[in-house]
Amino acid sequence: MKLHLSALFCLLVVMSLAAGCMAPAPAAAPSKPCTITFGAAVSLTGATAKEGEYVKNGYNMFIEDTNKQGGFKVGKQQCTISVKIYDDESNADTSAKLIEKLVTEDKVNLLLGPYGTGPVFSASAIAEKYDVPMVEPGGAGIKIFTRGFKNVWGTLPAAGTYLKSAVDMILAKDPSAKNVALFIENDSFSQEVADGITPYLKEKGLNLVYSEQYPKGTKDVSSLVTAAKAKNPDFVLGASHLADAELVVKQAKDIGLNAKAWAFSVGPSTPEFGTALGKDSTYILGVTPWTPAMKFQGQDIYGTPLKFSEAFKAKYGYEPSYHSASAVATFIAFQKAIEAAGSVEPKAVREQLGKLDVPTFYGQLKFAPEGIIVKPMGVVQWDTDGKMVSVWPKDIAEKDPLYPAPPWDKR
Amino acid sequence: MSNLKPETPNLQSKKPMPVTRWDRLLGTRRNAVYLGACAVVLVVLLILPHMSLSGFVLTSLTTALLLAVRAQAWNFIGGYTGYAAFGNVAFYGLGAYGTAILMTKLHWPFFLAMLVGGLVATVYAVIVGLPVLRMRGQYFAIATLGVAEATRELVSSPQLSRLTAGPTGINLPFFRPAGLSGAAAAEAGSIFFYYVAMGLVVLVVLATWWLTRSKLGYSLVAIREDEDAAKMLGINTTWAKVAAFALSAFFTGLVGGHYAYWRTFILPEEVFNVRYTLEGILSAVLGGPGTILGPVVGGGIYDAVSTFLTFSKPFGIDLGQFHVTILGVFIVMVIVFLPRGVADFFGRRKLSWGMFLENVRQNRV
Amino acid sequence: MGILIGQSLVNAVLLSGMLALVALGFSIVWGVLKIINLAHGSFIMLGAYVTFTLFSLYHVDPFLTIPVSMLALFLLGYLIQTYIVNWVIRAPLLVTFLLTFGLDIILINLALFVWQGDVRSVSPAYAGTGLTLFRDPVTSQGVQVPYVRLAAFAISLVLAGLLYLFMSYTKLGRAIQATGQDKDAAQLTGVRVAPTYALTFAIGAALAGAAGSLISVMQPFDPNMGGGYRLRAFIIVVLGGLGSIPGVILGSVLFALVDVLVGISPLAPLKDGVAFAMLVLVLIFRPTGIAGKAFY
Repeated sequence: MKLHLSALFCLLVVMSLAAGCMAPAPAAAPSKPCTITFGAAVSLTGATAKEGEYVKNGYNMFIEDTNKQGGFKVGKQQCTISVKIYDDESNADTSAKLIEKLVTEDKVNLLLGPYGTGPVFSASAIAEKYDVPMVEPGGAGIKIFTRGFKNVWGTLPAAGTYLKSAVDMILAKDPSAKNVALFIENDSFSQEVADGITPYLKEKGLNLVYSEQYPKGTKDVSSLVTAAKAKNPDFVLGASHLADAELVVKQAKDIGLNAKAWAFSVGPSTPEFGTALGKDSTYILGVTPWTPAMKFQGQDIYGTPLKFSEAFKAKYGYEPSYHSASAVATFIAFQKAIEAAGSVEPKAVREQLGKLDVPTFYGQLKFAPEGIIVKPMGVVQWDTDGKMVSVWPKDIAEKDPLYPAPPWDKR
Repeated sequence: MSNLKPETPNLQSKKPMPVTRWDRLLGTRRNAVYLGACAVVLVVLLILPHMSLSGFVLTSLTTALLLAVRAQAWNFIGGYTGYAAFGNVAFYGLGAYGTAILMTKLHWPFFLAMLVGGLVATVYAVIVGLPVLRMRGQYFAIATLGVAEATRELVSSPQLSRLTAGPTGINLPFFRPAGLSGAAAAEAGSIFFYYVAMGLVVLVVLATWWLTRSKLGYSLVAIREDEDAAKMLGINTTWAKVAAFALSAFFTGLVGGHYAYWRTFILPEEVFNVRYTLEGILSAVLGGPGTILGPVVGGGIYDAVSTFLTFSKPFGIDLGQFHVTILGVFIVMVIVFLPRGVADFFGRRKLSWGMFLENVRQNRV
Repeated sequence: MGILIGQSLVNAVLLSGMLALVALGFSIVWGVLKIINLAHGSFIMLGAYVTFTLFSLYHVDPFLTIPVSMLALFLLGYLIQTYIVNWVIRAPLLVTFLLTFGLDIILINLALFVWQGDVRSVSPAYAGTGLTLFRDPVTSQGVQVPYVRLAAFAISLVLAGLLYLFMSYTKLGRAIQATGQDKDAAQLTGVRVAPTYALTFAIGAALAGAAGSLISVMQPFDPNMGGGYRLRAFIIVVLGGLGSIPGVILGSVLFALVDVLVGISPLAPLKDGVAFAMLVLVLIFRPTGIAGKAFY
């Protein structure tokens, strides 16, 4: 049996087409019971699988609870909502492909975003290409929003604002703090955090005595920690993700870098930080847009963070993180916009999303003209009982922050 | 006495020297048949976008075509020269960055920017290649891996961030076809990028075909078979290798440029991801390194398998989470049973299952 | 300034011990089997996870888990070599390269499936404690020598020493050396090649496992941690010279020194680039490495 090479190639082209066409037939628009179909590509496997799972659970819970109460109000009708979720494997290219599939083959009405800077960048470009509005819960890079796109909104505050609240809190506690050391991960998100905080430090009259970038995924920051130690900082900031935040803390303890306060952009805001570091996590500050204990009051299906947290825990067995809250916030944004517009037409929804200004269990839902949410980050701290508590801003915090952090050998 | 004139090998001959079984096939009378079949495939691919396929399918095909170009580009240095480069993603990233910077800072049109992006990658290949190509075999392979890592670090470093915006990446101008909007604009966009990708495939295959008939091509194969003998024959091995490396970089850079404009943004962690190199190498090896169409076919197969694993649910099991594991197993099996790639099938007179066992017997301890 | 240099030197010395252990297994496999094991990083990762599992489920002290992880990786390495790698050992370089690469992918993804992608850490109560040398009475700052790193350094040296003794003075060790020098001649003297290869690979994996166990205490890790160590192992073996255990140690020391010094300089973000540049320079000017010779 001799295969002609070209015939084989034809076969392969056809196979690729067939694989792509294995999608179910596009849903026929139902006329009597009205349904709004949302589409989302979320990382259920791969590097950000955990956060993707949180997001997916948030989406699913909201759909269930909202449909129980009649769904979305579109004009005079009550429409049920549903979501079609694909796994983008934490991969930006796959995310783009899947969003394209959702729009062109599954014919969804509106889009919800993925989790992770890369996937959000890709997916939003496709949303813009097809002119379908997308609200995303997992991309905080401001560059996502400075592309002049009309179709992207995000419920995570801009990366550049992350550490500002932490600095505000430290200065409120100790106006005499002067010297700051900053560790920056070589990553788009972390770089934006650093780019946002560096001018802010100058504005507040603080002295950046050490600022250095380390390669992403590095196994060893002991040289940086050593160099920072030599400069005697009052407090240490980290523009990082979870793994490197843990690494910096561990090696700071090893090398003996002490500071009155520690704050990281990502890391201490997740429960894994406390599990991984145990007692060493005490006193460390993190920033987050939401915790179950923040004192928000909202005009949405859940109302307060506590109620949302209880519903989530009852359904999934663990307390929700801010990823799930952010995911539900995207849905609420759509809900409010659709109800105000009285339709699911992209143009109308877009207009209403731009005008949105409503309190929710997630805080105030209001977007800047570029599409990113305008919301201050809250500060959390790991207290001496091994719990993560919110400590700032004062009006929504549960507890007063612990300051200063004692040196490592005196704990 | 008149017949004592020694037979010198005529390297200027236009008749292609058979270098592998597959190329020998192309050079015989079956030429017409194969060229005809290729023409048919080409026509099919050309009219595909107008057959009202969904944007998703067009995009998937475009991805497959780009993979084919990357595989074919690797073929120049890996297949024909026998130098297994593991760092081609460096050229991909540089092409992407070159295109992005030219389009955003200097507002150059896309095709010019993509071309110059490719040239940037080529120049880099020449600079880096001169020292690195001195090494052989495994040293070369890992050295190129190191080049890719170092390039990524360099491009995203604070020292160069005024030019490259460091790790935060660059946003390219969005492709908005004049006078169109909504679905029509989206379709036009998909079609445009599809045709550019097709153009790249045609270009790289033609370049490979030209190579097999050129003096450079013979030099490369000579280097692959026995580098020292090649040197003794008077071939300037250094420049031949650098030329192959540069060709490889040029096409890989072009693909990077296409990707940048297509995706509308570039992040260093995306465009310097080692995944791109590996996919290219695997496709080339799968299809048959050192052949003209092997890598292109390999790219098609690899993409089909990958798409299949992402989207289908055979027997209701969601394979998504095992996608990469299965690819890993697939790689291992191909390597063990089919180390010379799919092109192996075409060089043999008789196909049988024994072929696989023979491959293994040749290579086992 | 003194503290900076002093601490950096301590960091470099302690780091070098650990890196030596990482590179040792890689070096043996490369030297004897003539293959570059791209899955070496995954073996290290698996060692780290063995320790993590024993520590978090059964509260076994991480240092006591080292024999366990070494044994587990030994068995895994033996099986992989016998049933997979041996099948392609005589194929061209690219083939074995891609094979071990495929194995690497499989191992990483199996680990992702079993342990999820979460970042893990092994933090026994004594983590972070250490000696303070040259303590300044005023600021109470000094040069920190963390106990964990010191212990890791000591263990690495012990294992390297044991390996050296094994290779030079035992029959099996000499058989391994012989196979590496000339496989066919070794066969003529009665050495069976396939089991010898398997043993060598297994030893390499076991050493990687030990390194992984030590690393698990010193830094947070996830299934993708191996890649960085693999590249470092390569650089160290090239620096120190293939085929020499003291060479690996020298290479580690040199690498650690450069790594630490670059880390405290403004070139810190380009650390990996500098390491790579070192590699290229050595390969151009002294391809046999510092101590490279024909064999162990």
